[in-house]
Amino acid sequence: MRTDSKRLETWLTLAGGFLLIVLLPALNVLPLPEFLKVSDFTINLYGKYLCYAILAISVDVLWGYTGLLSLGQALFFTLGGYMMGMYLMRMIGTLGQYHQPIPDFLVFLGWSKLPPFWQPFDSFAFAMLMALVLPGALATLFGFLAFRSRIRGVYFSILTQALTYGACLLFFRNSLLMGGNNGFTDFKFILGHDLRSAGTQRGLYIATAITLMLVLVGCRWLSRTKFGLVQQAIRDSENRVLFSGYAAAHYKLFVFVLCALVASIGGVLYVPQVGIINPSEMGTEKSLEAVVWVAVGGRGTLVGPILGAFGVNALKSWATRAYPDLWLIFLGVMFVLVTVFMPRGLVGIPDQLRELAARFQKRKTDAEPPVTGIEPDKSLP
Amino acid sequence: MSVRPKEFILTLEGVNKRFDGFKAITDLNFYMDVGELRIIIGPNGAGKSTMMDIITGRTRPDTGKVEFEKDTDLTRLNEYQINRLGIGRKFQTPSVYVGHTVFQNILLSLKGTRSVFSAIFHRVSSSDRDRIQTVLETVGLGAKADWKAGALSHGQKQWLEIGMLLAQDPKLLLVDEPAAGMSDEETAKTGELLLSLEGKHSVVVIEHDMAFVRQLGRKVTVLHQGTVLCEGSVDQVQNDERVIEVYLGRKKKDKT
Amino acid sequence: MTYRAWLKSLRSAPWMCWISTMLLLSGLARAAETPPAQPADSVIRSRLAKAVLAEGDEQKKEILSLAATGSKVVREVLNAWPKDRILLFAGENDTKIPALIEDETDSDGKARAVRIDTGAFLSDASGKPLKFAAADITTAETDSDLRRTLQQGLDAMALADPIPDARKTAILKLGNSQKLQNLPLLRDRLAIESNAEVRKAINESIALLQLGDPDPAVQKEAVIQLGKLEAIGSLDLLKKIVAKESTPSDIRREATSSIQSIENHIGVVNFVGTIFRGLSLGSILLIVALGLAITFGLMGVINMAHGEMIAIGAYTTYVVQNLFGTGFAFSITLPFSFGGKPIGFGLSLPGLNATGAFYESYFLVAIPLSFLMAALAGLVIERVVIRFLYRRPLESLLATWGVSLVMQQLFRMVFGANNVQVSSPSWLLGHFNLSDVLFGYNRVFVIGFAIFIVLGTYMLLTRTPLGLLIRAVMQNRDMASCIGVRTQRVNQLTFAFGSGLAGLAGAFLSQIGNVGPSLGQSYIVDAFMTVVVGGVGSIVGTVCSAIGIGTADQILQQATGSPVTGKIVVLVAIILFLQWRPGGLFSIRSRSLD
Repeated sequence: MRTDSKRLETWLTLAGGFLLIVLLPALNVLPLPEFLKVSDFTINLYGKYLCYAILAISVDVLWGYTGLLSLGQALFFTLGGYMMGMYLMRMIGTLGQYHQPIPDFLVFLGWSKLPPFWQPFDSFAFAMLMALVLPGALATLFGFLAFRSRIRGVYFSILTQALTYGACLLFFRNSLLMGGNNGFTDFKFILGHDLRSAGTQRGLYIATAITLMLVLVGCRWLSRTKFGLVQQAIRDSENRVLFSGYAAAHYKLFVFVLCALVASIGGVLYVPQVGIINPSEMGTEKSLEAVVWVAVGGRGTLVGPILGAFGVNALKSWATRAYPDLWLIFLGVMFVLVTVFMPRGLVGIPDQLRELAARFQKRKTDAEPPVTGIEPDKSLP
Repeated sequence: MSVRPKEFILTLEGVNKRFDGFKAITDLNFYMDVGELRIIIGPNGAGKSTMMDIITGRTRPDTGKVEFEKDTDLTRLNEYQINRLGIGRKFQTPSVYVGHTVFQNILLSLKGTRSVFSAIFHRVSSSDRDRIQTVLETVGLGAKADWKAGALSHGQKQWLEIGMLLAQDPKLLLVDEPAAGMSDEETAKTGELLLSLEGKHSVVVIEHDMAFVRQLGRKVTVLHQGTVLCEGSVDQVQNDERVIEVYLGRKKKDKT
Repeated sequence: MTYRAWLKSLRSAPWMCWISTMLLLSGLARAAETPPAQPADSVIRSRLAKAVLAEGDEQKKEILSLAATGSKVVREVLNAWPKDRILLFAGENDTKIPALIEDETDSDGKARAVRIDTGAFLSDASGKPLKFAAADITTAETDSDLRRTLQQGLDAMALADPIPDARKTAILKLGNSQKLQNLPLLRDRLAIESNAEVRKAINESIALLQLGDPDPAVQKEAVIQLGKLEAIGSLDLLKKIVAKESTPSDIRREATSSIQSIENHIGVVNFVGTIFRGLSLGSILLIVALGLAITFGLMGVINMAHGEMIAIGAYTTYVVQNLFGTGFAFSITLPFSFGGKPIGFGLSLPGLNATGAFYESYFLVAIPLSFLMAALAGLVIERVVIRFLYRRPLESLLATWGVSLVMQQLFRMVFGANNVQVSSPSWLLGHFNLSDVLFGYNRVFVIGFAIFIVLGTYMLLTRTPLGLLIRAVMQNRDMASCIGVRTQRVNQLTFAFGSGLAGLAGAFLSQIGNVGPSLGQSYIVDAFMTVVVGGVGSIVGTVCSAIGIGTADQILQQATGSPVTGKIVVLVAIILFLQWRPGGLFSIRSRSLD
């Protein structure tokens, strides 16, 4: 039975991958009757959701698998986005408002030539390298300090929240020369392709879909290694892990850095698709929103975050247009209900229903004959 | 007493520990021979758990010497480093990975490298499987390898945890109330298991249940107010005036 | 039993009012420094009218004498005169009636005029006020001599102003005028001035003027005097004197030493000011964090909606203010309809239309109400959400974040997305000056109130039966429940109390900053950090960390010159601090394995 469910999972993953990577772009590009066609807008929208899904997986690997609720994932996501943004800003060339060879906001701040740290971002490869190095370094430093002093649980959440808040304040400053509160926008080209063309956006979409699949498969593989077992053991009983000779801090640090990188890659893919990046993306509420996706989808599973990211954002796209005033109330109420009544999320609903049905049936059978004997100890964790 | 330090697997000398003004451990001296099975008893708050914490690196003593084998200073190491030296600990309340299967629980405890990267690329070999199966048979969980640990009964969790300790093959086992929540039959089996370890491993057992202590029948150390009150056989200890006063007297009261 | 305990805790309310009243009274006392007895208004008016028409030295003497009365009408006339706004109206029998032309003009550019001698409008036979255009009237003329006299009169009046601060401003203005002829005016005032603060200002001004004295001995004396007075305002002038080549060397030496002592003084003033601002910021943090310390520290519940409790307090203050004023109303229309009619609801409350001191007392009413409203909201949230999550702290964080989203949106719907205006009572405005350090009344009030709240909370937790129960439940919920404590009720009350404290914080924040839907968000991170640094569950720790963080923040702001950099440095420092003491300042070390 276990192998059956494993096989089913594999098939579902393959089918989902096919749908996202091949079918949707095909429906977009092939000459098909109107009702079958997927619009450019939808492709772009889904591309955004896929980036969110990558972010959500990074949240879940930390939270659902390791028990570390990080409220800093949006920070890493945005850092990656900024690195990509710097490259894209350089690709604008002299097509900006001021027709200067440096980004408009620098002209506005009175710069006449490029600040030194901007110069290498003419290179795509360098920008991508930095998108890994910068979040990786920050995560390493912060994680090292936090895990060394055994900060965990709620304290970890609060500290990551503070980290994000601090970074957010920093990026709002003009003197950081990262665009201040307007951030980066008005991108034109990526690797020589026009960002406004449907073809480029489709390409980005496919790249994102492939990345998501790779992240998914990678995380699944990792969760099944001995490393994955230790990771989940830390979640369930960190003391036992320590007293079994594992340096839990090293494991947590590894996961934290890994997830920072995954989130950053999500951000890298996100920016060219939405065409803007600014500091409000790294507010703590963005991190919490990503946690909502995971909670709604079902944490501790890898499909859950993807479902949640798609579901909640699709709902958001609809609700912000249909009920702009009430959307936040929807989101808030949904979050309360999910946390209180559906701790396992959408993915856990079948299990929850089954348990409910079992309890209902038991009550029925219990009601008929008088209770005999003592209930076996079924204490749940 | 410390003339022949080479013989001791564990040495605690002049250990003190305070918590917010409360003296948990006061001038504690404790010596254990290699391969010995030692029982520690004492009323609640006598400092038994704090003593375990100090040995395993969970708590740092304010003053005093804690040494393992010849001259390894335990006060400067942390939990996992101390565990890697070969000191295993079983907690009072069973602490197992409830989300993992029984098999996986033991797998994570098997002797071997503990580094992050070796864990990522680790493959379960057939000798690993054999070893796990042996351990599971020893603790009577052979048929339950695929069960989720969370689904085990309290006593079975206790055994699983003992199994996890055995899988580490430690030199010194610290076992905190192994018989709590077990039936008489299970308790007897646990006693046999612990006695069978004697010689190959050094074992410290903390216990409340005097019948169990009697079954083990080894040297008993009585802790009271964070210091050693007396040491000796079960009979000696039970007939000691001071022990009767501080411990057995209270024990009787508790029972009623 | 728990209810009685709860009521007992509310005894704190009268004290609160008492403290506030004391502050109010001290505020009134300030305004009550009355000027000396004056001749009746009508006498002054008729003398004034005559003075306008008089000529020569007699006129000047009379003007200065009138100025000495400090009367309002005299000031008006002296101000209007040089601006050609004193009308000489041709009355019967060739008399001239002087009148003051009003500022306000109608659409034709004409304005009414008030007779100086009677204070009534110049009017025609039917009693209708006459209107005059600037172009076709004769005004009382002035020459440079008279204008100087008028200015002198005005200066003298300013020096006699009943409000010390206004006197001081006028004195310092004269001091900086660099006109030696102002010296006698200042000396005259010095002879009768009793306020120490103002006396210091006069001495400073005299010395400032004397810097321009041709006699080097007087100049030197002035330089020394300024150094003694630590007159910050003279720093630039002194520096100029040092820089000037023609300055004699002994004066330069004295000036240098005076500059040194003034700069030292500035350093002290800035430092004390920073510490004071740090204390007041720390007090705000403390009031905000204390509620959290209770819900988070004692109960283990992470209430992300704590910030919205603050906002409730602030909005309650806003509503109470409006109820004392013109009333409060809102209406919401939902984007749904029922039977073709849109669904909506609203509320309209009439106001008391109060004015003056009664209106300003709204704040005293708002304080207890903001506590109650926030406590009520806390009670509801505890019942609806939190009671399911006592054993799942991480999830309480998430669920209460949901609550906070809902509440923020509700604020937006009821009060609008923009900030609302909350005016401060006059006794919270202004400041007092202690040796050049400004102490704002609102900041002083916040510090006092924080002390009061901390004491109240401490008493509640340690001296009341409710406090005993709270502590019992927090330490061991199961055991407390076993010995018959109604833990549910204790949870409810504790959570409500913690939320109420946040509401109080909101009432104060409304006096200091903007009140908007996301008010709470800007404090929540700081508040959490305060609790974590202080050591969870420790009130003493929270107090120390709030004051520490507040002061550090202000000092760093001063040192780095930027509020954001200061804040970031504080955050980094906190993370590093937790390396050293992971459990916070006052951690409650537990012997048990978690």
